[in-house]
Amino acid sequence: VIRRRTAVLAGLLLAVLVLAGCTSSKSGGDPQPSQLVGQTASGKYQGFGLDPAQPRPTFTLTDDNGKQFDFGTVTAGHPTLLYFGYTNCPDACPETMADVQIALGKIPAAVAKKTYVVFVTTDVKRDTAARLREWLGQFAAGTKATWVGLRGTQAQIDAAEAAARVFLATDSGQQHSTQMLLFAPDNYAPVSYEVGTTEQQELAHDLPVVAKES
Amino acid sequence: MRVSWTSVAGGSLVLALGVAGLVRGAMPQSTGASAPTVSAAGPIAVTNAYIVAPVPPTEIAAAYFTVYNTTAVPDKLVSVVSGAGALSVLHVETSNGNMVMAEDGLTIPAHGSLVLRVGQDHVMIEKLYGQVKPGQTVDLDLQFQNAGSIDVVAPVIKVGTTPPTGSATSAPPSGQSSSSATPVPSGAHS
Repeated sequence: VIRRRTAVLAGLLLAVLVLAGCTSSKSGGDPQPSQLVGQTASGKYQGFGLDPAQPRPTFTLTDDNGKQFDFGTVTAGHPTLLYFGYTNCPDACPETMADVQIALGKIPAAVAKKTYVVFVTTDVKRDTAARLREWLGQFAAGTKATWVGLRGTQAQIDAAEAAARVFLATDSGQQHSTQMLLFAPDNYAPVSYEVGTTEQQELAHDLPVVAKES
Repeated sequence: MRVSWTSVAGGSLVLALGVAGLVRGAMPQSTGASAPTVSAAGPIAVTNAYIVAPVPPTEIAAAYFTVYNTTAVPDKLVSVVSGAGALSVLHVETSNGNMVMAEDGLTIPAHGSLVLRVGQDHVMIEKLYGQVKPGQTVDLDLQFQNAGSIDVVAPVIKVGTTPPTGSATSAPPSGQSSSSATPVPSGAHS
């Protein structure tokens, strides 16, 4: 996991990590982020609550078919997961996308169909459209959601990260935020996710709840 | 992984692993059993070892395991050598959330444990000798400052699936069976 965007969230996560460290060495128990969130947010969600909810950002990047993709306009009104990462990532990125893939299979098809999963590459040089398409396609497979891989110039990616309020990736995009935002149909993100053993169930629980926020 | 695998990092890796580590990285990998092994013969026990298969075009695999130190003195995991790739490097999450190479190794406290897990501490295996796929197993040679070398066999699992537990007689990860294990590419493919 990388630097988190806000001190509050960092503190919250640190608490989770400490808890995880304590329990796992004894019983293998998993942290329960939802309990912590319940103290700071509405408690409706199992992910990490965002207080206040973040507005859906506006940015335009190029999708993996070479077409311009206006994130704010195209995804407006849809449950939307937004993540910044890169395809040569062995740890957080693929686990996060796999968690999304699996969670989408556990929720009502009607909700999955409305959902966008948007992956913005932070590796401007290496991640070609073909690489993005190959990598993301394996997670999109078997799901009913719309998966979009986005790329752009360094300046465009920086701007998109700033608009999404995640910290700017560095080191050829390999030092990046691991926070995945979930925007509701009302165009605010009330909740976010960090990779971990509970992420699949958090997403499966939260996606149908978020889908009703309109 | 947020530390570059560029030549700059590569240079550091060589330093971290030592030349011997690079040579030993060419060790052949075992085939057959895909159940995780528990190495508990000595004062250091290693459990729950597994590798997450990279999703193409990703060219780096991540390894995870848990180390228990049953002795009254701290030990240190100095380096890891893998049969899957030429370079294996410990990555740790710092207190401020940055992911960095653990060039000085990872300490396992006396009567304590070290848990590598997704999104946090992990071993990055790079310069893969061939494809690393679910159902295969990979030999990991963990080098400890006090306990010396401990070998474990880590099953390769699909990303997003539940890691195997390290109980001594644990079954292969769900969806896989020993019979489906296929030979892992050896150094000859590099």
